[in-house]
Formats: sequence, C-alpha cells, structure tokens
Amino acid sequence: MMKLLDISKKYGEITHKYPFEPYKVSDNFRGKPAYIFDLCIGCAACGIACPSNAITVQFNDDKSKLIWEFDCGRCIFCGRCDEVCPTGAIKLSEEFELAVKFDKSALIQRGELDTQYCTTCHKPFSAKRLVKYSFECLSKANVSEKRLEEAKNYLCMCPTCKKTATVATFTGGKEMVIE
Amino acid sequence: MKCDKFIEALGTRVKILEVTRQCDDQVTALVELNDLPEAVRFLYYDMGGYLTTMVPNDERSINKHYALYYALSMEGGKMFAGDEIAQDEKCFVTIKTLISPDSLVFPSVTPLVPACVWYEREAYDMFGLVAEGLPDKRRLVLSDDWPDNLFPLRKDAMDYRYRPDMKDHYMEPEYEFLRPEGSGIIDVPLGPLHITADEPGHFRLFCDGDTIIDADYRLFYQHRGMEKLAENRMNYDQMGYLAERVCGICGYAHAIACIEAAEKAINLEIPARAQAIRVICSEIERLHSHLLNIGLACEVTGNYNAFMHIFRIREYSMKLAELVTGGRKTYGNVVMGGLRRDITGVEIKESLRILQIIETQVDEVWDAVMDDKRQMSRWKGVGILDKQVARDFSPVGPNIRGSGIKRDTRYDHPYDFFKQIQFDVAVVEGGDVFAREMVRYMELKSSVSIIRQCFELMPQTAIIVDPTFHVKPENYALAYVEAPRGDNVHWIMQGSAQKVFRWRCRAATYNNWPSLRFQFRGNNLADAALIVCSLDPCYSCTERVTVVDIKSKKSKILTNADLKNFARTQKDSPLKDLR
Ligand code: SF4
Ligand code: SF4
Repeated sequence: MMKLLDISKKYGEITHKYPFEPYKVSDNFRGKPAYIFDLCIGCAACGIACPSNAITVQFNDDKSKLIWEFDCGRCIFCGRCDEVCPTGAIKLSEEFELAVKFDKSALIQRGELDTQYCTTCHKPFSAKRLVKYSFECLSKANVSEKRLEEAKNYLCMCPTCKKTATVATFTGGKEMVIE
Repeated sequence: MKCDKFIEALGTRVKILEVTRQCDDQVTALVELNDLPEAVRFLYYDMGGYLTTMVPNDERSINKHYALYYALSMEGGKMFAGDEIAQDEKCFVTIKTLISPDSLVFPSVTPLVPACVWYEREAYDMFGLVAEGLPDKRRLVLSDDWPDNLFPLRKDAMDYRYRPDMKDHYMEPEYEFLRPEGSGIIDVPLGPLHITADEPGHFRLFCDGDTIIDADYRLFYQHRGMEKLAENRMNYDQMGYLAERVCGICGYAHAIACIEAAEKAINLEIPARAQAIRVICSEIERLHSHLLNIGLACEVTGNYNAFMHIFRIREYSMKLAELVTGGRKTYGNVVMGGLRRDITGVEIKESLRILQIIETQVDEVWDAVMDDKRQMSRWKGVGILDKQVARDFSPVGPNIRGSGIKRDTRYDHPYDFFKQIQFDVAVVEGGDVFAREMVRYMELKSSVSIIRQCFELMPQTAIIVDPTFHVKPENYALAYVEAPRGDNVHWIMQGSAQKVFRWRCRAATYNNWPSLRFQFRGNNLADAALIVCSLDPCYSCTERVTVVDIKSKKSKILTNADLKNFARTQKDSPLKDLR
C-alpha cells in the first residue's frame, strides 16, 4: 500500500484541465474529415471509397445540383476519402469534439455543385467543375490544340452519348486522331 | 510436406475421401459423415490437437450439400513436459464433412470432444443443422423468440436487413438454465442489463450459502449479424474495417486476421515492413488491453489506488497508438495486400521514448501490487481452471497459459513478422486469477520487447503490394492472430465478384466461455465478478441482481452497489437475510 503512495508522490498530478484547456492530439491524428467546398469537383471518388457510406454524392430531385453530403455520425475516421480525393478537398483534421446537442442534422455537411448537362441529349450527368478540372488536366498534359478542342466537346457529353458517338465514328468509317 | 504425417495417421483410423491443401500449413481432409466424431477425437486427443474453430457452411450452390469444417491446431497436448509436436511440424488440419439438405443431421462430436459444444449449438441456430447426440441443444446465438424455422446464414433464408418481429416480453419463451440438483440452492442471476463493457451477458449462479456450486450463462445479447452483412454487401476493403469493429478492445487483431484469411486464400505475400507494422500495432493493442484487465482486476476487488495508477500508465499506450496510427482505438490501417500508413523515423523515436516509460512504470506498479497482501489474497486460489478442463475445452490466451499450458499462436504458428522475433511465451502454473494476471504482466514486458525488435528489424520496403489481385471462388483459408485474450480466428471462403462467400469470425473469448462454468465452482459469490473479469471478456460487475431462495421462495433484488460492495469488502453478504 505504501509503495503505491510513493508512486503517486513521484509522478504527481497528471490529469489535464480539459475542457478548460485545449487537449493536444498527435500530428497525423485521424479526426473529423474537413471539407473544402471550393476545391471539390464532385468526382465522387470519396463516396465510392468510403466504407461506411458516410459520404454520398447524388443529384438533387430536379437534378439541378450535384449534392455532396457527409454524415459525421456514420464516419469511422478511416481516412480513405482523404487518400482518394484528387484535389485535396477533403482531409482528416485534428478535430475530435463531435458531439451535437439534440440536433442530429448538425452532423451533416453539404456542398452543392452546379450540374453539367450533356451537350447532345441535354441530360444532367456530372458536375461542371469536374468537366472543367478534366479539361485543365488535359491542357497541362501536352496534347495538340486540335485534340484539346475535340476533348472539350467530348468531355461535355454524357457517357451514353459518348458511346453512341464513338460507335458512329467506327461504323461511319471516319478516321480518328489517335495520339 | 507439413501435415502429411497427420493425414497418414488419420487414414489408418477412418476413410479419407479427399485431401486438399490450402497453403503450406493448412490441409483439409474430407471424411464420411459417420466418421466425423472419431476423426475429430483422434486428431484432438491422440495426435495432440486443439479445436481452433468450426465452420458450418451452406454449400448447396457448390456441391448440393451443407458442409462442416472442424479446424484443429496440431500442436501437441502440452499436458506435461515434452508433450508437444516439433516446431516445424505444427500445422492446421481441418476435418470436413458434407451433410445432405434432406436430413440436416450430423453426429455430434461433443460427447467425445467437449470443446465442440458451442460450435455445434451455433450450427443449429445459424443453419438448422442438428447435432445428433449433442447433450445441450439449447439456442446459443439467436434470441429465444427468434422464429423457429428461420436459419439466417442459409443463403436463401432471408435478406440481411430482415428483422423478425419481437415477441412481447411476457410471450417470450423461457431460456432454460442448467441447474444442479439439490435443495437449499439459491439462484443468483447476474445481468443481463449491462454486466460487461463489450458483451452483455446473463449469468445464473447457483449458490449454497455464499458458495457458488454451479453456473450457467446466456450470452450473445448483442449479436450483430456481421457475417451475414459482409457476405451480402461488402468487398474486402470494407470488411477490414467491419472486422476491426468486432471488438471494442482487440479489434485490430480481428482486422488483421480477417484480411490475412483473405490474403492466404489467394497466397498473397505482403511486404516485410507491412508485416512488422501489423505486429507493432497488435502488440500496442496487447499493451492497452492487458493494462486494462490488470487494472480492472484490482478495481473489482476494491483496490482503487492501483487501478488508477495502472490506468495512468495505460494512457501512454493509447498515446502510442495515436502516434503511430492516428487513432487511439481503431487503427484502420490494414488493407488487403499490406498497409495504408507507414511509420516515420520521428514517430519511431517518440515511440521508443514512450515504451521506456511504460516499461519502467509497469514494473513499479506491479511491484507495489504484489506487495499488497490483501490484493494477493483476493487473487490467489480463486477461479481455478483445472488443467484437464483446459485440455478438454481448448481455451485460449492468458486463460490457458495461466493453467500451465504453453499455447500461444505467435509461438505455435508464427505468422507475419513473428518468424524473426524472439520472445518467451508466458506460462504460469496454478490456474487461478493470480496466474492469469501474472501471465498478463509477463506479456506486457514481452510486448514492449517485441515492439522494440520490430522497430529495429523492419526493413525499408514498400508497405503495400500492387493491389491487383484476383480472388478465386471457393478457395478458403484460416487466419489467426494472437489477440490479448487469445487467438482470433477468421475463416474465409471466397466468392465471385471480389466478395466473400462465407466469413466465419471466431473471437478469442468464444473459446473461453464454455469452461468458465468450471472456474466458478466452489468459489465465493463475492469473487464471481472477479473470476469473469480475469477471463478478460470485460469487467463484470452487476447492474442488478435477483436472488431467489428456492426453499423459502423468498426473493430479493440487489442493486449494483450492493453486489459491488460485497465484491470489494467481502462483508455484509447481501444474501444473509434470505437464509
Ligand atoms: S474518414 Fe472514412 S468513413 Fe469518414 S468520410 Fe472519409 S472515407 Fe468515409
Ligand atoms: S473532389 Fe474530393 S471531396 Fe470532392 S467529390 Fe471528389 S473526392 Fe470527394
């Protein structure tokens, strides 16, 4: 018994004054994912990677917006979204104080991105920013002007129309530029 | 090759229909249904096997039958010095048998090998397979009001989201506890309201005076249907995370075991550095888990002072986990093919500093606890697990090592980086609570040393292999990880489209429960919570206890405080006004 008291004396007080003083977590702590709307292109990579379906990327009802939504209540802080995001729009932060008072909707975070409509069939299929981002990537990739111009049209088509167009080129016997 | 010796010997006993090899040290022998009990008994007792797991499987879509897989770890009986199989011959032999869907009956192995009892009860719950001759046919996993003819793990039984209606509590069928004969026996139900941190359970203690003469228990109040969920809608990436959430303490061991089972089924070798980091993280887990248990074993006997100190030290191990993985409890870094996160030089340096603190302080506190005569008298001679009972029921972890049996998967079947690491298996004779806590203390020390060795030996390689792998449907394998409470065993049969066909997850404690009944016998009621605690399923104190005296028909409801108080002070028996 006395030995234990000696140990107490040796190490003194070790408790923190938390919450009255901040609690410092380690670097690289896996806390709540922080979302930077301005960087998000709506590619949905995070939504596909997320093992617990905390992130969803879906059109709203009238398909005028692509909604990125994160439900912190479902998040398991694994960091998959952080890994796969091409633009760094979502990164795990050091935040760990996640409790909300009575209002569960406070756990939800949303981003609304403008919809890209297909130039051929006018159906919504992606986010404007994603198309813009893909184009920017291509411009940096050292491809010819002509090819870039083609890509511009191409990127603004929905997958179905793209398929039809490609098939048409093949069957029509038109020549394609392949670089 | 490994295992051949056992198959050959088995062949002299029963007719083997087919032998398949899963990997270097795992083979499966298909035997006829009627030969099943003898085949398992022969390997278990005559050849020195322990039951690792048993997997029932619905293979009607593959071969029009149900299948049973009894996986035995061939390592020697270990009952006396020399009773052990040579290190390079240890392996896993699985006995497989097929059951026709028309009969759904198989001969029970339990009368010959008691360790099978829970597995065979579960086979009925989940698949409706009836073990003919099984002495105890009660439900195990599903609740008592579960519909009679619904067997959830059959492939065609139900959607994984289906939840049958609950019966009103007064309509609920009564669960029959096994009760000893005799008059004057007092029935003490413990639970089910909370009881444990991670597994609520209902214990029924049968007492004569304050002495427990027998016990029975009902667990699985929190069955979550993870196996069904994974089979239906998860890919391997998601399964690792789900497996990590099987347990609130040793989740990481589940995550590795699950992913390694999938890796083994396709013979995927992961880089050495990833292996080392998996070992480091699982040893960190052992540190915090053992500190938790030793702390609670003090707390439940009223030694708050030691409890607080041990938890103070435990905080360092949590910090350590946070440092190298970014999370205190869920490490979330295992993926198929390796790991997602490396450890940097700075982190290693800081980790070594923390390890030093843990090592010194653990010694200081342990020394003080050992010095405390009152504490020792509460631990010594209590909750004895007899060596023969241990041999019969295949318990795992500190529970069996405290009974003088040298079983440790890290040593018997070294996986991952353990092939290169030196450590002593902690074995203590005695079988009482003290022996089990002593094993844990020794393992704290060896864990620290294992982590240090890993830091030193881990090579600078990549931490993940190219994840383009192809699963082969119908391949299966077993993977095992020595978690703090014993080995967590996962069995995976792969299906098509990167999904699992069958995932069987067996947590360490599953093998420890059936023999608990014997550990209770002859002990004082005040030690009940301590005995459960020393198994490390969790800490066990009692929310509320109803005591019924069969003779006088008097009953009394005790509060948590009453029983806790009795457990701590051993004074003022809560039963005294019933006598
Ligand atoms: S941290 Fe994991 S669970 Fe949370 S949002 Fe990202 S991917 Fe989903
Ligand atoms: S840009 Fe990043 S955050 Fe936005 S949808 Fe893609 S992966 Fe998710």
